[in-house]
This record gives sequence, structure tokens and C-alpha cells, in this order.
Amino acid sequence: MAPRVGLRSLEKRRTLIDGVRSNIHVLMLGVKYFVNPRRMTLVYPREYPKLSEGYRGFIILKKEKCISCAACARICPSAAMKMIRVQEPDPKHPGKAKMKQYPVINYQRCIFCGYCVDVCPTEALYHVNYHDIVYDNLADMFWDLETFQREPEYKTAAEGRPVRIVIHEELGLVKVPVEDKA
Amino acid sequence: MAVHEALAAIIGWPPIWQVLIIGFIGSLVVSIFAVWFERKAAARVQRRLGPYWASPRLGGLLHLIADLARYAFQYPIIPRRVDVVPFLAAPIAGLIIALLPLAVIPFTSNPSYWPLPPAAMEYSLLIALAIATLPPIFIIAAGWASNNPFAVIGGVREAFIIVAYELIAILGFLGAAAAVGSFNLVEIVAAQEGFKWLILLNPIAFLAVFIAIVMSTSAFPFEIPESEAEVVAGPFTEYSGILYALNMGGAYMRRFVLAILTVLAFLGGWQPLTPGEGLLWGYILPSIVVVAKAVVIVLAISFLRAVYGRYRLDQALDMAWKILLPLALAGIALGLIEASIGVV
Repeated sequence: MAPRVGLRSLEKRRTLIDGVRSNIHVLMLGVKYFVNPRRMTLVYPREYPKLSEGYRGFIILKKEKCISCAACARICPSAAMKMIRVQEPDPKHPGKAKMKQYPVINYQRCIFCGYCVDVCPTEALYHVNYHDIVYDNLADMFWDLETFQREPEYKTAAEGRPVRIVIHEELGLVKVPVEDKA
Repeated sequence: MAVHEALAAIIGWPPIWQVLIIGFIGSLVVSIFAVWFERKAAARVQRRLGPYWASPRLGGLLHLIADLARYAFQYPIIPRRVDVVPFLAAPIAGLIIALLPLAVIPFTSNPSYWPLPPAAMEYSLLIALAIATLPPIFIIAAGWASNNPFAVIGGVREAFIIVAYELIAILGFLGAAAAVGSFNLVEIVAAQEGFKWLILLNPIAFLAVFIAIVMSTSAFPFEIPESEAEVVAGPFTEYSGILYALNMGGAYMRRFVLAILTVLAFLGGWQPLTPGEGLLWGYILPSIVVVAKAVVIVLAISFLRAVYGRYRLDQALDMAWKILLPLALAGIALGLIEASIGVV
């Protein structure tokens, strides 16, 4: 098939009037935003986004539901979760102890993908809806079995006020205050 | 005569006072404020917050003080391959010469506080313009002495920009001089009595001068020599510490000085005020009025950063030679017509 031959007109050259008009337009637009700014910045520690309940934040263990299947440790893509062996009193043979395995987590490696929560057959793992917690040293990010069962304190909620971010057609992002504290 | 009286007499002499106090200290404060305003205005227009956390009540003004302290105490590195004497001398000489026009600019109509003798005051606009054209040489020298490809390219860009804007700035100021028929800045201000300001009578020349100032001090649409996306910092690539601060502050100080010249030529100088006798009414208050108007011009130039992108070098030169040069000539023609009709 022969290539189609056609005429294509060049773009019309901008005249001086167009240039002056567009310069005035952009300056007026700038002055409009300068007089009436529509800021979208989240002033973070003073106001923080209130996240929904299904948010994949920190992962917490309910020890009494755990059946030691190690599915969480096997599926973890970043090898953040490991099984450890602990001694427990044996309910079948009173007075004797038995070894049982439980997961512990290393938050230096965790990528908050939530596969472990999804794969857990007895729902022994669950998410809390916040993830912005600062540690002073790296060793604190290795959670042992006791720490893994407690929800960490959410210090941002103590300082800031929760907002929900809504997308608006004209204003861009709009911050709506939320009353209840997390 | 005690030592402190002699010192007070030397500092109180109008040229020294104007260069040191109004020029150096005043323009330092003005340039800090202008940089803050630049960042804050760009943030407002672009829906951001801008500098904030250092001092939330002042809107982050202390960020700039911290920046200045950082520049002042940073270790200035002098690379091994630079040409040391011009490398060190260029920013310092450029800064001093950028402030020198203030030594010939009158801030009042009271003859006892003029910086020049009345006979030399006849040519004050010409002398000030002549000195104001010198500092770009030192920017090119800084780029050449740095012995760095980016710096050399930046210096060459500066040279291209110079030949474009110098002519426009001088011709634009000549529009004011042609309307009044004098190079005496005091007479030019006196001719604008009663809000017959030359910005209203001759807006064409004012526009040419304004854009020429923006170009000459590499403010935003024409920030071509030191465009950091293309040539790292242009002529100032190898500088660090206080020398870099001198280079960058030098542009703001030159902008301030040229803004003062524009205020005298177009915005009526000390005009709402009539200078009288005595130090306060004859000198200090008129100079405060002039500086306040100059700050408005500097802030208007700072605002341009919020809305414009950077022109390419060829676009800027195209605009300068094809649009602004005829505009400046038209400003002179308009001034001559007004002078012949007798409006001014």
C-alpha cells in the first residue's frame, strides 16, 4: 500500500498581540492565586491523615489463636518474619513443658504488604491503621514476642488533629477535620 | 576633635552614608526579605506552604537568617586549578561596584545633603548608569577564573545577556531624561511634581527599564546565566561559603540599586514628601520614601519567579533585540513628544 501523501499546514505563528495577552493572563492568574491561596500542604505533625480501618499498618499478633503453622514466615517476601521456639506448659501433661513456635517480626525489613495477615488460617495476625512511628535505634525495631502482642503507642495522635483528605474538582485536595481521635 | 566625632563626620558624609548604610546594610536587609518573599510568594501561587517551621509566627523568616549564617560560617573551598587572584577578587569587586551608583544618587532635593557638588549633579543619571554597567564584567571574570566548563558557559551566557540589556536599560532611562530635558536626577524628580509620575506619562520606557533590570540581575524569566538545571550554578559553580553568598547577594543588591534609580526616574522619587530643612525632614525621611518604593519594585521582580518559567538564551535575545529595543526607542520618542507638547 502506497503511503498517503497529504498537505499539513504549519502551526500559525504567534503574533506579538498573542504574546502580550498570554503574559498578562499568566500574571493575573499568579496575582489571583497570590491573593487567594489554595494551599494543599498537610502540616504533618499538627494534622495527620485519619486512615481507614482496612489500612495496612503495623502488624500485631494474637498469641492465643496462633497454631504455629509458620505460613506467615514462609510467605513473607522480605524475610521480616521469623519463627522462634518458646517453652510453654503442656496442657495435656500437667507439670511438663513443651516447645512451641511463634512468629516475631523485624520492622527494619517489613514492607507492610500484609501477606502474613492474609495467609494466616486462624486470623491470629491483624493490622492497626497507623504506620508512622519513629524509633531511636535500630534494635528497637526487632520486636520480641511480648512487644508483638501489644499495639504500639500512636504518638502522632496525641499531638496532632486528624483530618481526612478529600479530592475536590476545583480546589484540588481539601482537608476535612475528623472529630474522633485514633 | 575626638575620634568618634571624626568617625561620625566621615560616616555622615552623604556618599559614604549612602554606600555603607543605605547601600550595604539596607540592601542586605532588603535582599534577605526579597528572598523570603520570593520563596513565600512562589509557595502561595503554587499551593504550597513555603518556609514555615523555623518560625511559624513570622512565616519562616528566620530560615533566611539561618541560610545567611550558614553561608557566612561555611568553609570556602578554593579549588587548585582556579586563577586565585581574579577568583577571589571578582565577587568582592563586583559587590562593591554594584553598590557604587548610590554614591552619586541624590536622595533629597535639599542641596546640603547631595552626595555630589551641584555642578556634577547635572550629570548624576549618566554617572550612575555608567557605574551600573560595570558589575557584569566581574561575573564574566569569575566564570573565566573558575576554570570550569559550566562556569565558562555561564560567563558566556552572561556576556550574551549583557549586550542585550545594557542598551535597553540606558535607552529606557534616556526616555525619562528626554521627557524632562535634563540628566539631573533632582530635576527629573522635581518635574514629576503632583503625581505627574513618568510611569504614568511614559509607561513604555518604564516597561523597557523594568524588563532590562530583570534581565540584568538574572531574575526569574531570564535566569539564564546561572540556570541550575543546565549549567550547575553558571559562573558561580566553583564558589562556596561566603564567596558564593557574595555572588548571589550581589545580584539582589544590584537589583536594589537599579530599583532606586528607577524610582527616582519614573516613580516620583521622594515625591509625596517635600524635603525641608534639617537632617530628619531634609534627608532621612525622603530616603526612607525612596527605599520603600524601591522595595516594592524588588518584590514585584521577586514575584515573577512564581509564574514564569525560564526563557532559553535565544528566546531572551530575540525578545530583547526585536521587541524591547524598539520599545525603548519608542519610549524616547514618546518622551520627546511629551516634552514638545509641554505635558511634563
